[in-house]
This record gives sequence, C-alpha cells and structure tokens, in this order.
Amino acid sequence: MSDAPVVETAELTKVYGDFTALDHLSIRLEKGQILGFIGPNGAGKTTTIKILVGLIRPTSGKASIGGVDCTADARKIKHLVGYMPDTFGSYDNMRVREYLDFFGAAFKIPRKQRQDRINASLAITGAAHMADLYVESLSHGMKQRVAIARTLLHDPPVLILDEPANGLDPAARVEMREILLNLAQRGKTLIVTSHILPELARICNMVAIMTHGKLRAFGTLDQIMQNVRHQRMIEIQLLSEDDVVQAAEILRDNLDQSATVTEAPSEMMVRFNTTGNEQSLAVALQRLVSAQVRVSQFREMQQDLEDAFLSVTQQEKAEIASGEAQA
Amino acid sequence: MNNPIVRRELIGALRKPNVAALEVAWLAVLAAVIVLRWPAGGRVNLAGTQAQQVLSLLSWTILVGMMLVAPAFPAASVVAEKRTGTLALLLNSPLSPAAIYRGKLIGALGLPMILMLLTIPGMTACFAMGGVSLVHQVLPLYLIFILVALESAAVGLYVSIRANDVDSAIRLTYAVLFVLDLLLLIPYRLVANTQNPTFLLVGRWLASFSPLPAMLHVLGSNSVHAGNSVNGGDSVIIRFVICSLVLSGVLGLLSIQRLGQWLFDRPRASGKVTDDRSTQVRAYRRIMYLWFFDPQRRSGLIGPLSNPVMVKEFRTSRFGRSHWMMRLVGICLIVSLGLMLAAAYGSMNFQPQTLGELMVMFQVTLIVLITPSLSAGLISSELQNKSWQLLRVTPLSPASIVLGKLLSVCRTLLLLLFATLPGYAVMLVIDKGQADRVVTVLITLGLIALFCLLVSSAISSWFRKTAQATALSYALLLGLFGGTLVFWAGRGTLFSLSMVAGILQFNPLAAALATIHAPGFADYNFVLTNWWFMLTVMGVAAVVLVFRTWRLTRPD
Repeated sequence: MSDAPVVETAELTKVYGDFTALDHLSIRLEKGQILGFIGPNGAGKTTTIKILVGLIRPTSGKASIGGVDCTADARKIKHLVGYMPDTFGSYDNMRVREYLDFFGAAFKIPRKQRQDRINASLAITGAAHMADLYVESLSHGMKQRVAIARTLLHDPPVLILDEPANGLDPAARVEMREILLNLAQRGKTLIVTSHILPELARICNMVAIMTHGKLRAFGTLDQIMQNVRHQRMIEIQLLSEDDVVQAAEILRDNLDQSATVTEAPSEMMVRFNTTGNEQSLAVALQRLVSAQVRVSQFREMQQDLEDAFLSVTQQEKAEIASGEAQA
Repeated sequence: MNNPIVRRELIGALRKPNVAALEVAWLAVLAAVIVLRWPAGGRVNLAGTQAQQVLSLLSWTILVGMMLVAPAFPAASVVAEKRTGTLALLLNSPLSPAAIYRGKLIGALGLPMILMLLTIPGMTACFAMGGVSLVHQVLPLYLIFILVALESAAVGLYVSIRANDVDSAIRLTYAVLFVLDLLLLIPYRLVANTQNPTFLLVGRWLASFSPLPAMLHVLGSNSVHAGNSVNGGDSVIIRFVICSLVLSGVLGLLSIQRLGQWLFDRPRASGKVTDDRSTQVRAYRRIMYLWFFDPQRRSGLIGPLSNPVMVKEFRTSRFGRSHWMMRLVGICLIVSLGLMLAAAYGSMNFQPQTLGELMVMFQVTLIVLITPSLSAGLISSELQNKSWQLLRVTPLSPASIVLGKLLSVCRTLLLLLFATLPGYAVMLVIDKGQADRVVTVLITLGLIALFCLLVSSAISSWFRKTAQATALSYALLLGLFGGTLVFWAGRGTLFSLSMVAGILQFNPLAAALATIHAPGFADYNFVLTNWWFMLTVMGVAAVVLVFRTWRLTRPD
C-alpha cells in the first residue's frame, strides 16, 4: 500500500449564510482503504462528498483526489471518482443495459470496450441477470447494485457511495458488503456513508465520525475503539434474582467513584461501567464470591462502532452543555 | 364538511404561495379587462351595447381562465399521491373510494370557485351599467363556468387515477380538454352545410361537449354555428349542461370504480427481449414489427457520433421510442388525409384555402400541444428525478447536454410535420399557384416548431418540477396562439381593426393563416414581422437555456 494520499482534504469548510455545514475538515485516505463516514443526519457527510465529486464549491480549504483539485479541476475529477448518491436517479422506459450504455457513452468509453465494461460492472455487482430489465421495475436492492455498477463503468480509482446499504434486507446487505470488500481488494479507495454501523465496522479500515460539520474522530477502527475504551462495561450473570440487590451493593462499595452500577433483576444480571483496571475488577469479583453471591458469568462486553459513535456524540453533547453552563 | 380530504386538499392548495400569486394575477387581469372596455367619459348608451361589450370580454376571460386553471390541480392530485405513497395510506383508511373521490373532486373545485367568486364584482359592474340580463345572461354564464370547472376536474381526476406520473397526467388532461373544448367543434363545422340530418345531429351533439357554442349563444353571437337554422336557442345551453353532466358523471363512476387496492395490483415489467425468445416468436415479432420497430428489440450501443443525451432522451421519452413514434406519425398521416377528405366532402364551396386553413390549424395545434409535452421536462424532469446530479458528475458539457435534448425533440417534431404534409400536396394539385404560399407556410410552421421547442425548454430550465414547467409553457403558448385570437374574434366590435392587427402580428398561427389566405385572415400581411418576432424570442430563449444549463452544471 503506497503512502501517497488518494483522497485528501485540508481545513475544508462550507458555510451557508450563518450556518456552517462543514468546519475545517481534514482527512487523508490511501489506496485500497475503505473509509466509513458516519454521523447523524445533517452532520456534513453529504456536503463533504459533494465537494469531493465537484458538485459543491467549498467556502475555504482544499480537497483533492489523486492530487487533482476537486474545485479547480472538476472535469478531471469526474474521471477519477465514481459517485453513487443517496437517490438512484432513474430514467423511465430504460433497460439496465441501456442505462449503463448511456453513462458509458457519457464518459466517452469507446463503443468496443463499452460492452465489456458494462458486462464486467454488472458481474462484479452480481447484477448480470438484470441487464434486460427495465430500471423502474427493479427493487431497491437491485437498483443499488445497478447504481454501483454505474460508478464502476469508467473504472475510477475512488468510489464514493452515499448510503449504499440503505433500505436493503439483511441478505442483500451481506451481499453489498461482499461487493464493497471485493472492490477494495481490486485496489479501489472507497468512501462509504451509512447509518448501519455494524455493517460499516465489518468493511471499513478507516472511520470518520462527524457531528455538526466537525470531524470528531478519525483514524483506523482500532484507534477509534481505543479512544472510547477508557470506560469498560462489565456484565455479571447471577444464578438467582434474589442476589441482584446484594451484588449491586457490594459492587458500589468496592468500585471507584465514577462507576455506575445498574440492576436488572428480571434478567438476574448486574451491569457496571468502570475506568478501573484488571486488579480492581479481580477485587470486585473476589468480594462477590466471598459474600456467597452465586455468580455464573463475569464478562466484559465488547464495544463496537455504535458505542464509539454514541460515545463521541455524547462527549459533544457534554461539551455543549458545559459551554452553556459556563455562559 | 366531514370529509378530511376536502380540508387537506383545499387548505393545502390555498397555502401555496403560487395560488396566492394566481389570485392576485387573476384580479389584476379582471380589472384590466374591465378598464379596457369601460366607457370613456362615464356615459353609457341606453341600448346597453357597451355593457354587452364589457360583459362579453369579461366572460371570455373568465372562461379561458377556468379552462387553464381548473384542470391543473385535479390532474396532479391523485397521481402525485400515488407517487409519494400516500394514496396507499388513503386506500388503507376506512374512507371509501367514493368518499376519496368526493373529497378530491370538491377539493379540486375549491380554487376555481374562489376564482369565480373574485369575478362577481366585475360582473356586478357590467350589470350596473344596464342592458345586461341577470336571468338570461349572468346566471347562465356562471352555470357554464361551473360546468367547465366540473368537467375539467372530472377529466383531470380520471386521468390522474390512470396516469403514472404527474407530467403525463397534466399533459393528457389538457389534451383531452382541448379535444372536448375545441376539436369537437370541427365535425359540426365540416357538416354544417350538408343537408343530412343525421350528420347535423351528431355534429351538434359532439359540439355540445364544448362550452363555446353555449357561451356564444348567451353572449348573442352564433358565429360558430354559422348558417345553422336548427341551433335551437336555449337548447344549446341545455345540450351543454346535459353533455358536461353526463361526461362528469360517467368519468366520476369510472374513477370510483378504479380507486381501489387493485389500483396497485400490477406486475413489474418482465423485461422480455425478442432476441432471447423462441424462434417462432422471434420470427413473428420481426415480421409484425418490421424488426426495427419491435419494442422488445435489444437496442445497440450508442454510436461514436451520436450524442448520448439525445439517444437517452429517445429511449426514455415515450414518443422517442420508434414504435410509439411510428404510431404517432401514422395517426398524423391519417388525420391529415382525413381532414383533406372531410373538407372535400363536407363543403360545397370547396376551395384550396379551406383545406389550407384546416391543415394549418391542425399542424399548429399539433405543434403547440405536443412540443411543450416533449420539451417542458427536458431539464426540469432531470432535476425532479435527481438524475441531474448524475449528469453533472459525467464529463458531458452543458452544450452537448442542451444539443442532445433539443435534437431529440426536433426529430420527433420533424417526423410529425412530415406526416402532415400530404394535405399540402393535394392543395398544390388543385391549384399550382399556391406553391409560394405553401412554402412560406412551411417555413412558418418550421419556425413555430422551433419557437415552441426553445420557449418550453428555456422554461424547463427554470423549474425543478416538470408539472410547473409544463403548465407555464402551455399557458404561455396557448395564450399567444389562442388567447390573441380572442381579439380577432372581437374585431370591429370589441376592438378596433388596427389594434387587432397590431396584436395578431405576434401570433404565429395568425401569420400562417394569413399566408394561406384563410377566411378572416386574408387581409393581413405580417408574416415577416412575425418571423422576426419568433426569431428574436427564439434567440433569447436559446441564450437563457444555454446559460441556465451551464449554471446548473457548475458546482453550487
């Protein structure tokens, strides 16, 4: 993997009137990486994407793909990026093959090569059997495949996919995941936005979390997870509902001040968050056992991208609240 | 009113800023019309001539307003809900199809009724001048307006229920109403001089679907039924009342019958391709469709010299597909020859000019009706479907996008015009001396087609919804081609001859009719002025279209 960035933004900012849609965004992606772009609605993801594909001009800052400036060389950018917006943009009365033929011709792919490209794109996305179907008659999942096939036609090094898994059923989502991983293996750099975070976590090796136009976290999945792992969540499964209250009291007495203990009698379970290390956890378990609390399982819950996202957004809310309090 | 749809439709419509603008514009037009013919010096003659002139102009304005405004909302009403998915929710509610239809119909009539209420002060002014009968003129006129609104709403809703997208629903509704209001007058005109009572009866009843004979009768003119001795006074109004009520009732019943869960019970297009079917089927279809016109033929790739946008437009537009195109061309050919035969058969005083007039009317009508439907969505439909941003991320230049889109419509229009040409050949066979005139008319027709195309396309580039672009295109073109003829109809009585000539020189239809020496237009000679007018507007429209397309392809 080369170190030269394929996608790079530096202090990218977009302001509409007094609303800042994008606030000094700086990211850098290398060849073959898959960036999961996550954030709540209105976070600035689509704005960033539209700047990258040359549909929006930034207020300040720079964005480049393969060293080509996204604003100054918008025509060149079109050859470097395959863009799949969150809406399909279909044409009525057109068969899938004709739809792809049009975009192939628009990208000036010579006629001799175009048929092969269409077939190859459809094969990669598992949509070869749809070639003769009418576009408007396709299901949502089928349309998503055709849309990805369209982005592949001119063989761009970077693919930008806005919500490709949106509205797909679980089976189609798994297939979509495989398609995206396959594309990354072919050396494509992908930027993917999605609200389905477990899906993103399975395919992305880079993650950017945005809220209110600001980049809150950016890095590999491991780096992001380490940042949110400052708090651990432990789950204790008991043999009897009667032990829940006693166990919770013992934990409160033996854990650090910041720990929060919650009781779940119906599940015969106690959960707690702690910043404590392995030593403090061992002490807490020993106290439970010596108090004859019947513990059947004592486990640390795995944290995922969703927890990372929630942690980042909660952190932001806390910052806003403290800012307001100071004001 | 317990029907929730009525409230939603009416309040929804009245909340729209463009409806408020429409009401203000409507009031302004009414005021202008009254001021235009209001007696100077504050005196009126006792015979009521001036009051009749004001009443006549005001009534025609109201009628044209009703014809233009009343169909727009019902035509979009159901199909828009179908597209957004809310119709399925309505059908899933305890509301019966009849209740849904009633709600939609009353909601659709709301705006025309409000517009009609706004005309009352003007009508009162006419009445106050004296010489205007409340019972024999004002009330029948309002009856006609109400029935026009009802008929328009019924047609609009029926088309809307059957259509699959808003634009085609609006286009089809206006086309159907155009046939009902204007084209159904032609058979009567053709058979008016015959003595065959059956032809006369059929012609008279067909003409009664149009409000124009009833209007002319109420306003004291019978020019549409010229030479007719069996017009039958008040029976014209009664026939119109019967025709419009029966039509509205039948369409209402058909609409209610169609409004049900099975409205959505349609299979998806299977995408069959002739090339993949059995040898027998393949052979059969290739013979039946002459291979090239087979809708299930697998199309080839876009050629290196073809504009991809043009080919895309052919493929996506219904009349761009060869099989549809050929059907349309076939219909035009048949109508063209039919008109020629009908003119020859129906008129005892057959003249080449009669045929020429019919041909020009037919071709201009065809151009004015079809061109906006093909071109008013050229840009706006892409913006509406969100496919424009896909075009923007391709390397296609604004010039090639505009060129491809315009060429796609040009081909269709050219084929249609060629299909209507045989009538002129017959004219030339009858009288070779008409050759120069025919050439001038053909140039005018070509310019009219380009004029309509560029104006509609330029309008299209300013809207994000095709329905709005289509409605405005139709309003402007029909206003220019048909609206200015109102002045011609009132020449020498309502309007001075010089004023009429001044206005008509901007009407391309009038220029073509004057060139062919059609009855009533033979004295005018403004074809060159009209060409300059069209060329100027076309130049402005082309600049606007290219600039807007360039702007829309630029980063925001």
